[in-house]
Amino acid sequence: MSLVEVEDLKVEYKVYEGWLKVLNGVNISLNKGEKIGIIGESACGKTTTVKSIMRLLANNAKIAGGQIRYAGEDVLTMPKKKLMNLRRRNMSMIFQDPTAALNPVFTIGQQLYDIVKYSTDEHLSKQERHERAMTFLKEAALPEPDRILDSYPFQLSGGMKQRVSIAMALVSANELLIADEPGTSLDVTIEDQIMRLLKKIVEEKGLSVILITHALGTVKNFVDRIYVMYAGTIVEEGPTKEVFNHPQHPYTEMLIKAVPKLTGGGVPEGILGLVPSYLTPPAGCRFVTRCPYRMDICDPEVPPMYRVRNSQQAACFLFDERYHAR
Amino acid sequence: MSTSILAGEDLKKYFPTSRGVIKAVDGVNFEMKKEGEVLGVVGESGSGKTTLGNMIVGIYSPTSGRITFKGMDLSMSARHRPVQLKRDIQMVFQNPASSLNPKRSVAQALEVPLKVHGGGVSVRERVDELLSLVELPTEYADRYPEELGGGEKQLVAIARALATNPSLIVLDEPTSSLDVSVQAKIINVLLRLKGRLGLTYVFITHNLSLMRNVSDRVMIMYLGKVREVAATEEFFRNPIHPYTRMLLSSIPVITDAEEEAKPERIQNVGEIAGGLDLPSGCSFHPRCPYVMDVCKKSDPLLLEVAQQHFCDCHLYPRDYRDTAGK
Repeated sequence: MSLVEVEDLKVEYKVYEGWLKVLNGVNISLNKGEKIGIIGESACGKTTTVKSIMRLLANNAKIAGGQIRYAGEDVLTMPKKKLMNLRRRNMSMIFQDPTAALNPVFTIGQQLYDIVKYSTDEHLSKQERHERAMTFLKEAALPEPDRILDSYPFQLSGGMKQRVSIAMALVSANELLIADEPGTSLDVTIEDQIMRLLKKIVEEKGLSVILITHALGTVKNFVDRIYVMYAGTIVEEGPTKEVFNHPQHPYTEMLIKAVPKLTGGGVPEGILGLVPSYLTPPAGCRFVTRCPYRMDICDPEVPPMYRVRNSQQAACFLFDERYHAR
Repeated sequence: MSTSILAGEDLKKYFPTSRGVIKAVDGVNFEMKKEGEVLGVVGESGSGKTTLGNMIVGIYSPTSGRITFKGMDLSMSARHRPVQLKRDIQMVFQNPASSLNPKRSVAQALEVPLKVHGGGVSVRERVDELLSLVELPTEYADRYPEELGGGEKQLVAIARALATNPSLIVLDEPTSSLDVSVQAKIINVLLRLKGRLGLTYVFITHNLSLMRNVSDRVMIMYLGKVREVAATEEFFRNPIHPYTRMLLSSIPVITDAEEEAKPERIQNVGEIAGGLDLPSGCSFHPRCPYVMDVCKKSDPLLLEVAQQHFCDCHLYPRDYRDTAGK
């Protein structure tokens, strides 16, 4: 059964020049206990998508269409109280920059006790809150949790801060954990530690995960299924292994090729050009401005998702025999 | 002895702070002999790689030790450097958004070094020439940084570094704030420029996969010291230092071939120490899985352990281990 269903989601942001049409019909589904990844370049709408699921979008954003269902219930029209309960007990998010996610003027303890307090309706004594906070810190493999509770964020290293924010997220993530680039701001050895820890925890607890990243290697070892996002649209979807070994959409193919390989072989050319402006995006396929295989049909028409190689889907007219036999 | 392009002898940079002395670079020796060589300096944050780069261009003067460039002493700060040397050595910074002045157009940014260092030809012609060197259209001269994408800004920063006809460029993480697709483009431009203009690069990065494809030699730094140096081929075929192997085995990769190329996984524990209180002896010993008693007491020396392959670890050369173990 699916836990999260995003259907034809459209999100726009109001800026001085007009409306930025960022998400243009995003479809995502996440089954219970499944781990999915959303990959793509910066500014492709990955964070906007997950923020919509948690209803954390900025004030200048508006949902221009589509639906989001969490365990069958409509998130977008849900009363505030119900939404709060959902956030308190069911879902949580880990952000990219732990320094920005933690409040610098409160100790870790003060912040964590609050989260523990509001994550349940029961009344917890001070001692109980402390004990629960300690269990979560221990779960996040933090040494000396007592000392951490008394520390301010600036007294901890980047890796420790990210572990603290994992601990905080675990308090209320009983079903869904959203991780938005959890390792990007860390060194590679620390990122490796954090990702292994996170994987162990979510597998032990059976959480469903949405992992966002632009580091393709990170996502490969973590998730079961991948969504590739480009300029506010999902361009490809499929099991992780299949997408990496047999990318179908031209964008996925070029993105994977652009990563320098540890085995050498030189640096490929990359993808020329830029993500189109969201003020006036192309009417059809949004990748059309950078696509080496563009056809006449690509600009006026938006490509639907075509099923390819049994388990994958790609939004590209190259898979339509009427236009192109590939 | 033939003169080397760039050499550092027992180079040190200490920063006094109110709480003690931070040894950012602590006794680094290196030599670049060939023109057109790319020396990759790799390390985690806090390893001293940027401080080393800053000393080469003269932003800092070394606390002790010597830097020589084509036989000339560079150990004074940039203010006292002969003008010719300033022209010869240039730098490209990590974040183009902050290294370009938002209120100056591309042409204005490029004109500054041209006016300061003269050049004879008309400034505007030279601006166009520089832009075409970095493969940007000459219309970009009148644009402002905010109108450019991250990659384009970095190309402008590269063009600015080229304005004085340097022979050595220090590239301080030139692509780490960019997406992989854009990174590929920048790297290719840099490599083509190197061929055309006969440049030599000191390439500072934390990305080993990128180094594999770009540099001729790799130098690993950890807490202000060089831990391992070797030609790229040899380095990746035969990584020796436990830290290097930890670093390599932590890299997230995307293909199975790369997974096989990685050294056996080394238990990755702890984090890089702070600059103030360095561990005694070998500063890597608290994280090292092969730690011996001798590591806590004495600092190893950088020794040749294979043909032109240097490493500072008490485990090497191999025969040392037998005596140390007893």
